[in-house]
Amino acid sequence: MKQGFRQCMAWLHTWAGLIPGWILFAVFLTGTASYYRGEISAWMRPDLRFEGSAPEATTLAVRELQRIAPDAVSWLIGVPTAADPLIRLYWRPKQERRFRDAILDPATGRVAERGESKGGEFFYRFHFELHLPPIWGRWIVGACAMAMLVAILSGVITHRRIFADFFTFRPGKAAGRSWLDAHNALAVLALPYHLVITYTGLITLMTMYMPWGVQLAYKGNQQAFLAEALAFTAPPRPAGQPAPLTDMAPLLATALERWPEAGVRRISVQWPGDANATIILSRGDGPELAIRRRELVFAGSSGELRDATGRDAPAVLTAGTALRLHFGRFEGPVLRGLFLLSGLAGTAMVGTGLVLWAAKRAPKGAARRGFGLRLVEALNMGTVFGLPLAMLGFFWANRLLPAALPLRAEWEIRVFFALWLLAYLHAALRPGRRGWAEQAGVAALLGLLLPVLNLLTTHHHLGVTLPAGDWLLAGMDLGLAGFGLAFALAALKLWRAPQRAAVPLGRMRAEGA
Amino acid sequence: MVRRAWRIMRGWRWPGVLSRILAAVVGGYALGALVAIACALLLPFARSEAVITGMMLSFAAYAGAVLWAFAARSAWRAWAGLLLPALLLAAASWVGRPA
Amino acid sequence: MAALALGLAYAGFLLLSLAMDRHHRELLGGAPPRVRRLACRLGGAASLGLSILPCFALWGWSIGPVAWCGVLTLAAFGLVALLAFAPRAALLLAPLLPAVGFTAWFGLD
Repeated sequence: MKQGFRQCMAWLHTWAGLIPGWILFAVFLTGTASYYRGEISAWMRPDLRFEGSAPEATTLAVRELQRIAPDAVSWLIGVPTAADPLIRLYWRPKQERRFRDAILDPATGRVAERGESKGGEFFYRFHFELHLPPIWGRWIVGACAMAMLVAILSGVITHRRIFADFFTFRPGKAAGRSWLDAHNALAVLALPYHLVITYTGLITLMTMYMPWGVQLAYKGNQQAFLAEALAFTAPPRPAGQPAPLTDMAPLLATALERWPEAGVRRISVQWPGDANATIILSRGDGPELAIRRRELVFAGSSGELRDATGRDAPAVLTAGTALRLHFGRFEGPVLRGLFLLSGLAGTAMVGTGLVLWAAKRAPKGAARRGFGLRLVEALNMGTVFGLPLAMLGFFWANRLLPAALPLRAEWEIRVFFALWLLAYLHAALRPGRRGWAEQAGVAALLGLLLPVLNLLTTHHHLGVTLPAGDWLLAGMDLGLAGFGLAFALAALKLWRAPQRAAVPLGRMRAEGA
Repeated sequence: MVRRAWRIMRGWRWPGVLSRILAAVVGGYALGALVAIACALLLPFARSEAVITGMMLSFAAYAGAVLWAFAARSAWRAWAGLLLPALLLAAASWVGRPA
Repeated sequence: MAALALGLAYAGFLLLSLAMDRHHRELLGGAPPRVRRLACRLGGAASLGLSILPCFALWGWSIGPVAWCGVLTLAAFGLVALLAFAPRAALLLAPLLPAVGFTAWFGLD
């Protein structure tokens, strides 16, 4: 029975991993990129970086919002930080359901009009919405995340030699064996990360996936639930009488006094220009692990402090810890680098799993491959190499599309999808090692030449950023070129005729002994 | 290993496998939802805390249910193993529901 | 200090791997004698355990353990790669990394 149990779990692991596997790969890779979404956005709008203080940014933002959207229902200001140095404006006009958004150009004090780009927000949104209508995308990603959780658990049960093979990787062995070793090592050595990132991912959208507790305990009133959980109070309705907005500077000073380390990350204004306007300052991430939602609520016309929201109850703190772990919003290059590496390990785990499925089923010699296998192989190539290729292409589109192009941000995304689609077509037409080598070669060129393109198209190239010690932009250039280098090595290895890798020295000795 | 697993699965016959998949996907979600509801209504915490606890635990219950659906000796047992705790949770939630 | 944590974690994993037949054979030849196996296990576990201390010092009590998980993962990946491609270097690196870590800690920090 025990044997049968393991085999059932192996079957479950195979299919719960394969069927959502391509989406999971994309979710993992774009999610990993999202750890640096502020940096990616800054790289894509290098002229708009703001280096002043939070109160200065706020003053600029309020002045511009008052000019372009004085009658909006609400404003939202994203206060710039070192890792996300753009001043973001969002506003919801009357009679519209969605927020509009723009980035403020600190040089002119106006909304930036040329060189429009979604930047890192595109990868971030894709990570949980797949560029579909949000409801659809979120449910699909949620289902895939659930499958991932099942695949992880069943994988651990299936892996009989989890401790005996802990350090085992045998690159010279038969293809199936090496891929299995790599898949095992990537999965086992980063297992805490995989488990935590999958489970906390489900938690980020749990009120959508599991609304039944709220349905019964609050009769479906989500607002009432949030108000109780986070000690929110609903802002007052508009009075219908105009009144000027108070000066933000003293409010910010109050907030910074309370939150000296975390600072203010978001400012929202409800009914700006009305006598009942409300100003809400939200706290940034503190030095502790859990994200604690804290808000200071001020009367918009008088600037009087009305309320300080937020609760530290155990379940809220647990959820806050889960969110912090998922978002990976930590300070310092080491910790963020560790999250980046773990994210890449997760991506590679999914990728090696997909490749392993195909490698195990590939017929020996020249026997014909069935349609299922060919389909999986094409999807594998177009996803595992095609997606990073398209992502690098997104960076190229950002530099090459004319700044004044109408719907420019949309065009960047179209380029991304066009490249990805081409990668799938190419994978279907050129199956096998050569196809993989060609895609790796293109990705390598896109990555390695990106600093050169940057040199030709902007004033923010390595020749400027490195001497200036501007590690944000220099790090982006070098990091992306680093990915290019990795693809170049992969392309070289794949291009050479398939041959057994040399037997490592240690093993030779071992086999001799 | 996987190939051997295949052979066993073929021995299961497809109606059984489909039934298990249905039990895992639908039954598992139902069980997760019932865990969320039972926690929300029965836990002696503040209401919002109980709701959040339930939501966070529900995914573990869902994952456990999926594993069970494929580990059970037969599809019938898979369903029974899901229905029994589901009924218990539903009954407990009904009895302990706030007035 | 991050280097110290990484060095200790790496040394710990290396010792644990030396307590296993396959890797002992690859790196030192033959199966490990029982006493050495035990010493490797204990020393490895101790070194892994110690590696959390620099993480606490650097990142504090709540974020430290998160960073520690990342450090362990990185150290293990490094060891697996070295064992596969450069087993000699795997052995040499073990005393070197913590040493570099200590100097970095006392010297620069």
